[in-house]
Amino acid sequence: MLRRSTTGTVLAAGPRDDSQPDHKRTLAVRILLADDDTARAGALTKVLSADPSLTILRPRPGELLADAVAALAPDVVLVDMARPDRDALEGIRVVASNAPRPIVLFVDQDDAAFMEEAIRAGVSSYNVLGVPPPDVKPILRAAAAMFRHHQTARAELREAEKRLRERETVDRAKAILIKERRMSEPDAYRWLRTRAMSSARRIPDVAQEIVARHLGARESVMPPTIVQAGDPPGAPENAKTPGSNDGGIEAREKGAP
Amino acid sequence: MLRLTDSAPVVVAKAHDIFRPLDIHAVLSIEPSWANIADKLTYGLLDAAVMLPPLVLASALGLRGPAARLIVPMGLSQGGNTIVLGGEAIKESAGLPPGARLVAWLAGQTGRPRIAVVHRFSTHNLLLRYWLALTGVDPDRDIETVVVPPEQVVPALASGQIAGFCAGAPWGLTAEMAGAGSVLIGTSDIWPFHPEKCLAVRDDWAAANPEALTRLLRALMRAQAICDQQEAADGVVSALADESGLALPREAARAALPGGSSHEQIHFHGAGAAFPAPPHAIWFLRQMRRWGWLDAETNIVNAAAAVYRPDLFSLAARMEDLYIPPGIARNIPIPEAVWAEPASKTGALDP
Repeated sequence: MLRRSTTGTVLAAGPRDDSQPDHKRTLAVRILLADDDTARAGALTKVLSADPSLTILRPRPGELLADAVAALAPDVVLVDMARPDRDALEGIRVVASNAPRPIVLFVDQDDAAFMEEAIRAGVSSYNVLGVPPPDVKPILRAAAAMFRHHQTARAELREAEKRLRERETVDRAKAILIKERRMSEPDAYRWLRTRAMSSARRIPDVAQEIVARHLGARESVMPPTIVQAGDPPGAPENAKTPGSNDGGIEAREKGAP
Repeated sequence: MLRLTDSAPVVVAKAHDIFRPLDIHAVLSIEPSWANIADKLTYGLLDAAVMLPPLVLASALGLRGPAARLIVPMGLSQGGNTIVLGGEAIKESAGLPPGARLVAWLAGQTGRPRIAVVHRFSTHNLLLRYWLALTGVDPDRDIETVVVPPEQVVPALASGQIAGFCAGAPWGLTAEMAGAGSVLIGTSDIWPFHPEKCLAVRDDWAAANPEALTRLLRALMRAQAICDQQEAADGVVSALADESGLALPREAARAALPGGSSHEQIHFHGAGAAFPAPPHAIWFLRQMRRWGWLDAETNIVNAAAAVYRPDLFSLAARMEDLYIPPGIARNIPIPEAVWAEPASKTGALDP
């Protein structure tokens, strides 16, 4: 059992249950870790491997989860809840040694909050019945902590990417306004801000609308040039290629506070 | 819910703004697996879900882990699944009865062909097994059943990881359109108007929010009516194909809706589709027992009555002026053969 591990591990947790028979000689627990996120799976493997009684197994890339269970005969399966093939674990049997053994969802009935936490983190655990039950809670707790950590990191990354994209959109909208309405750059920004405030929207949303309308207009009008009435036929080349102007404005914008 | 055509009542209720007038602030959650839905329902991360009736029953009876107190206050759809076999050989028997085609196909297979279902405790699996047994095929001995998520069955069939599958719309037609397999039979040919998806909620959530539950059921009844109208199909398809939502393939999703080109059609409306009939639950539970997944001691009638709640449905249906035929719970047509306890696993129709 994990909690009886003699080495100090980060996983030693949970009260000792002395009513359980001692299974000192069946210390080894085989854990199948089904997680396609290589970085997270690697980090979790490292944490769990600190306990010498745990063997961490991984499915081969592209291998059906049921096949991995059949081939590796684990005692515990930790599965990333984002995996659609998680359903393959429900109601199957693990053929270990001589008898097929049912595999069931691990649920701590006395600790619903703990279960909710694990689900929220996006990790689930299955046990193989018929073998001395390993103490899954600390294993699942470690997995949930690792998943939560990566979840936070991913959310932060997504947020940063979103802000970058929004900034790009605002820059493009400003470039369009500068060219089409002959506004100065500060005026273009003020125009977007006023419009956002008056319609109770965010500036990036207003900018997105301007960009979308601009693209739509370009697609429907042939040729795709923005030539104002009165422009001489030989207008400067950069008036027809918004891209080149965008770059210039973007460069200026980056220097602005 | 999952990415399936029969998630339509919930998707349409949202897209057609049916929830809001009934004061329901619904946030839709698209999940990658049925197991996720069962877990999130159980631990309160979801309040209500589009579910597989046998999975709700299995969860309630503790067959996939410790028992979860889930209930079924209404049905959402009938029919819509197809049994698809891959390879060239199945094409040669086109025109023959499905049972004969299956037997001929099996004879040409080496070893036990792998047939995928979407979950062990799914309508698909139970109807597939029922039909195989009817055809004289032992689903435990003659084939191997594997579980593959619905959106992965088509690539799995194309790559040869599986030899066939039973899955919901639009994946059967998608497989045909991709040239990966041939539709052998629809589940409505096995059991006409069979119950397919249902709404599931936690028992304690229903008890704590009786009015919200009634309003939710009313909203879904209104959405079901829309989903069943041929004239509304374009709008339903658009809601299902929405890139920010289920993003289903348009053509294949349209085919299984009313007036569509698919032989196997989904039905959403009317008391027959929406009424959570305990005899349906009894049928599912008896099939589970037949295959040795449910012990002999469990009282099936009591279990069905604890999970299926026509009382909650009727309350909401009366408010919507939905006609509920008297005695509907008893007059549900269910295949004759399944009520006779089969002496052996196969040949359920034999005297």
